[in-house]
Amino acid sequence: MLEKIIYNILRKKQAIPYGELVASASEAELLKGAGEAIHSIFGRSVRIRQVDAGSCNACEWECTALTSPIYDVQRFGIDFVASPRHADILLVTGPVSVSMAEALKKTYIAIPEPRLVIACGDCAKDGGVYKGSYAVTDGVDKVVAVDGYIRGCPPTPADLIRGIVEVIESRVR
Amino acid sequence: MSQPNETYINTGPEGFLDGCAGLFAKKSFLRMMFATDERASGGCFRIYAVFSPPESGNFEILVQDVSDVKSPSFASITRKVPAAHWYEREIRDMFGITPEGHPDPRPLVLHGMYPEGVWPLRRDVSADDVRRVVDISREDNYQYMSVKGEGVYEIPVGPVHAGIIEPGHFRFSAVGETIYHLDPRLFYTHKGIEKQFERIGFIGGVELAERVSGVSSFSHSAAYCHAVERMAGIELPEKAAAARTALIELERLYNHIGDIGNMCAGTGFAVGYARGASIKETLMRLNQRLTGSRYLRGVNVVGGIKTDVLEHSDDILTTLDLVKREYKSFLALLLSSISHVERMEDAGILSRSVAHSMGATGPAARASGVGDDVRHAHPHLFYDRVIFETHTRTKGDVFARMMVRADEVGCSLSIIEALLEKPYKGKLAVPVGSVPPLSSALGYVEGPRGSIFYWVKSDKDGKPLRVKARSASHCNWPVVPFAVNGNIVPDFPLINKSFNLSYSGCDL
Repeated sequence: MLEKIIYNILRKKQAIPYGELVASASEAELLKGAGEAIHSIFGRSVRIRQVDAGSCNACEWECTALTSPIYDVQRFGIDFVASPRHADILLVTGPVSVSMAEALKKTYIAIPEPRLVIACGDCAKDGGVYKGSYAVTDGVDKVVAVDGYIRGCPPTPADLIRGIVEVIESRVR
Repeated sequence: MSQPNETYINTGPEGFLDGCAGLFAKKSFLRMMFATDERASGGCFRIYAVFSPPESGNFEILVQDVSDVKSPSFASITRKVPAAHWYEREIRDMFGITPEGHPDPRPLVLHGMYPEGVWPLRRDVSADDVRRVVDISREDNYQYMSVKGEGVYEIPVGPVHAGIIEPGHFRFSAVGETIYHLDPRLFYTHKGIEKQFERIGFIGGVELAERVSGVSSFSHSAAYCHAVERMAGIELPEKAAAARTALIELERLYNHIGDIGNMCAGTGFAVGYARGASIKETLMRLNQRLTGSRYLRGVNVVGGIKTDVLEHSDDILTTLDLVKREYKSFLALLLSSISHVERMEDAGILSRSVAHSMGATGPAARASGVGDDVRHAHPHLFYDRVIFETHTRTKGDVFARMMVRADEVGCSLSIIEALLEKPYKGKLAVPVGSVPPLSSALGYVEGPRGSIFYWVKSDKDGKPLRVKARSASHCNWPVVPFAVNGNIVPDFPLINKSFNLSYSGCDL
């Protein structure tokens, strides 16, 4: 074990570098800018409370992947927290099922202002494949005010990082 | 039109209970139980119970007509067949058909936001009808089972949990640190998927089936397609069948390795968690390269597959080779950590008798000695052409559930390798004509968490009359409280992770 750790230190092994997370040069700029935005506005610390409001669980697994050693979002100053009281951002997945709407509202209220709300995934935008069903409210914005969207079904971990950064960039000026 | 391995027996209301009890006593598995609203075509509601008797390869489907459509009811079979308990509560919630004599009168699927007397799955109730009467601010007054006595206190948890997890409420009654009773309240993510299937139609339903449960996307869509293809009388081309088999096993691989890694998070073994996550990521990226989706979405269509996945067999084999090496040393690391193994041993024991009578499935059942595997019991696709074992353990603790998964990883690897040995002929998909009216069929797949079943029936125009989906998690959630009983509260996350159930798949 110790050998492996020393080997990794010597080889300077690291999580997926910026370059591989992006598709184009403009996105690389965006991510670099993100680092700066997170540094200057949030003091290098953005805390996210994730709420599943009826998603199929694919978005959750991608959020979990973000904290794995491969993507390691903590290096951008992003982390997921347990209590809404500690959060800056509310990341909502799912079309908001009827049974989860009230819990989502309560979580939203528990987050201190200023707060950002991001709707993550295609069904969080407008209900997606579940649109029109009797048991969903067709999108997060029907229940709480939304500041930005991340599209994809599910968005890949790289999409998530880009999306979070984009919303921060567009809203916090 | 009926399928070759399905035998429908209309017992009438009198023979239903005895018929079910007899089959269950002979160790048949209750695969699912559901109701249909056939008032338009047959003038009645119908109740179906699908059993598979051991070693027969056939399904015996008992049917009874509920002809009193004004105040419909049937005799509950739960006291004789405990595995039916959730199905019957579901039938009551969704159709308003009362299971007479059911021991639990509480609602299951529909929370307090839905007013009483609204039965969403009845054919004459539209989605908009339900929407008009639903009120999201109405309170949910569910009666939790409470334990009284000195020193007993309750711990409420959820529906919004501390981590990145799906929603559900757990009500623990604890004495000191020991859990005396756990009453879970699920169905927070109920999205009305079965009704939505009826709106979308058979062909478009594949997309919805892929979104029943995120990490079982492929197994769900494969089971759904299987059902619709059988109903429409479609013979799957060899190439599509081979690819589906390979992808089902790839899905099992990333799930099992991810689950084994996640259990490390339950014991606080950070290195194990990190290594599990990185092997899983390698497999997810393989998925992306093969299909364009990390969750294998957008491949299945009714009649076959969209992309020729087996074309990339070199990529698959090279990646699996890497995974195999990584996985071997990962497993050795886990088994050499005494603190990790000791936390898992004797924690969350699920007895064999509970596993069978409550209808558990998949690795959870196999770890308790119930050797049920749909791949062997009802082989289809390429499963009768490859050789593999059904791995079981007897102890039923967290460690046994981990080891069943560990053994199955090896199994899946060798199945995929065997499948890729030769090229396959035929088209990717065959065109689908019209679906014959008033026909029905079962579809099934052994997914990562256990058996997944679909039952479809068309109406007189060939459109969906009923699509019943039954995920593995729906069977396994009710056994979790049994496994948790007598353990300490801090072990609950570990025990829960050892089942790793999908809430969305259960809640539909």
